[in-house]
Amino acid sequence: MFEPRPAPIVPAAASRRLVPLPAPNALAEPGKGALWLAAHFPSLPLDALLPRACQGRAAVVVTAPDDPRRTVVACNERAARQGIAPGMGLNAALARVPGLRVEERRPAAEAALLGRLGRWALQFTPVVSLEPPGAVLAEVRGSLDLFGGATALVRRTLAGLSAHGLTASIALAPMPRAALWLARAGLATTVTRTDALPGLAARLPLACLHWPEDTVATLAGLGIASVADLVRLPRTRFAARFGPRLLDELDEGFGRRPAPRRRYVVPERFDERVELPAAAEDAALLEPALEHGLARLGAFLNARASGIRLLRVDLLHRARAPTRLSLALARMAGDAAGLRLLLRERLGRCRLESPVDALRLRSGVLLPLRIRDPELFERGRGADPEATARLLDLLRARFGHDAVFSVQPVAEHRPERAFRIAEPGLADGLPVPRPTARTARPLWMLAEPQPLDGWDGTLVTGPERIETGWWDGHDVRRDYYVALSRAGVRLWIFRERPPGQRWFLHGVFG
Amino acid sequence: MNGVAELLLRHPALWRGAGAGVPETVPTSFRALDARLPGGGWPLATLIELLVPATGVGEIRLLLPALKRLAMVEGTAPRWVAWLAPPHLPYAPALADAGLDPARMLVVRPRAGPDRLWAMEQALRSGACAAVLGWAGTVDGTALRRLKLAAEEGRTPAFLLRPATHRGDGSPAALRLVLAARDFGLDVEILKSRGGAPARVERLPIH
Repeated sequence: MFEPRPAPIVPAAASRRLVPLPAPNALAEPGKGALWLAAHFPSLPLDALLPRACQGRAAVVVTAPDDPRRTVVACNERAARQGIAPGMGLNAALARVPGLRVEERRPAAEAALLGRLGRWALQFTPVVSLEPPGAVLAEVRGSLDLFGGATALVRRTLAGLSAHGLTASIALAPMPRAALWLARAGLATTVTRTDALPGLAARLPLACLHWPEDTVATLAGLGIASVADLVRLPRTRFAARFGPRLLDELDEGFGRRPAPRRRYVVPERFDERVELPAAAEDAALLEPALEHGLARLGAFLNARASGIRLLRVDLLHRARAPTRLSLALARMAGDAAGLRLLLRERLGRCRLESPVDALRLRSGVLLPLRIRDPELFERGRGADPEATARLLDLLRARFGHDAVFSVQPVAEHRPERAFRIAEPGLADGLPVPRPTARTARPLWMLAEPQPLDGWDGTLVTGPERIETGWWDGHDVRRDYYVALSRAGVRLWIFRERPPGQRWFLHGVFG
Repeated sequence: MNGVAELLLRHPALWRGAGAGVPETVPTSFRALDARLPGGGWPLATLIELLVPATGVGEIRLLLPALKRLAMVEGTAPRWVAWLAPPHLPYAPALADAGLDPARMLVVRPRAGPDRLWAMEQALRSGACAAVLGWAGTVDGTALRRLKLAAEEGRTPAFLLRPATHRGDGSPAALRLVLAARDFGLDVEILKSRGGAPARVERLPIH
């Protein structure tokens, strides 16, 4: 055509000798380098809004709210069977299926679902990368042996996703971008060699590149229908016309340019919303959604090998501030099983003031799980900390945090201040308080001294004088006696010293 | 009892009709009472009912020595004692004086009603406590049986304190005592004791 002949974006094998170009990335050789698995989720906008189980028998489409044409972004299988496809205008879709259910796209929900998918993928490999809006990449070379090869791994992945009601198209390639193209094009294939990709380029439509719409339209106007057509274009002219970024993308796809990916890191805390299929007016109806949220929390903790000691659950109402529940645990929870029981108790206690639309589950700080319990060998000899903590959590979930406590003595001469309410177990390991030499104290203490008018029991021992406390405004001047009531109950009573002179009941000897 | 008879009684191959299934026990530390109880003390891992005419006749002073034996085992961490729906707050200095660790008392103040027994059942079943003390009024037979099963399952003694007006009610408890204060001491009437016989112990010297 012209001389000198311009270098095409990706040279054919014959022309490689004529125009030297940088060799394909040596890292991408089979057996040695990376192998990326790309999972593309075509109906993610829909799955994020309505889990498959909630779609019922309706044909559903999702449209973008800010798009004037209201293009269909995703549709379910039922809609697809009636002739609706993504990319179609909403009017055209409604003309085909008048009873169509139309939902608006929610990017936040999509991002949350994609994050969950990323977390889920961490079970296969530690190197996972998200490709918003609808794909997840995972580097699986090191995991192939563990999962019995690429085919078995793909089968396993698809089965796991379909158990969650999701469908994906999965492809593997040494370059992440190539794997993405293949997955988006729906070519469920495994490419292990970099130089095998040009052979597949003819089957990759331009749409799988996810390039800007006007670029794709311009290219289509030039008669370019596939990636194979695209790579025959001259490099320099392509870069001049469409910008160097798109050329870089192509080079990344064909392994001529390294493509580092941002690794997905699981967030520090769990924070997720679970939508209810219909507003719930009864706490019992929250259970399936709660179950769902806890399953996600369990997967999250699993991926982080962590546990939590605090879980907040917000019940979100449409027209009023959320009802907030919080669950503080005496023992770290590393899975959802124990939390489920506690939350059920907690929910059973709360009355819904207004219908609930959604739940929000937030974890407290993540704590590393202890693999070996250091108190393993203490079991059966003293207190079993696990069993106690479980009991504590259960009782608190039912009666509230403050209804369960322990007591501690305080060095103080005024009886009503000689103890305090304490968190059970906090004093563990401290020396047990020694008995004191003073006179006996009653086992039951009344919250407030009760006036004894017309007292006719017998005084047994006393008086024991307990005085002063002027420094904190709670001055006492009392003479305490042990007394016996007519029913034979041993009491601890006192008489106010002059000028008071009244008798009060302060304790019962039990 | 002389030495030979005592040795014979300890022999595992010797079967005695009267003492069949002698339960594992912890001594009450009151000799007169221990002598009347099968196995010589409070049976472990079952339901014990204490019927009291009024709070404070001495029911806790009767239990404290046994609680100390159960919870404060030499060489191990103190174990928990659960107090479910007590009539007042257990007073920490008095507990310390009795040799118990107040920080190991688990006090639960549930709402009234069936929840109290639920809490007691959970505490028993967990096996986390050395002993469980619970206060209740009218309890139907099914609930009592549930408590007894929970005590057996968690291998924890359950002391259920109820007003003496319930002495006529049927109960599956392994041991039922009626307490009454008398002359600075405590009269204990053994209404029912599994493997033993009804008896009275008068003026138990509780302090």
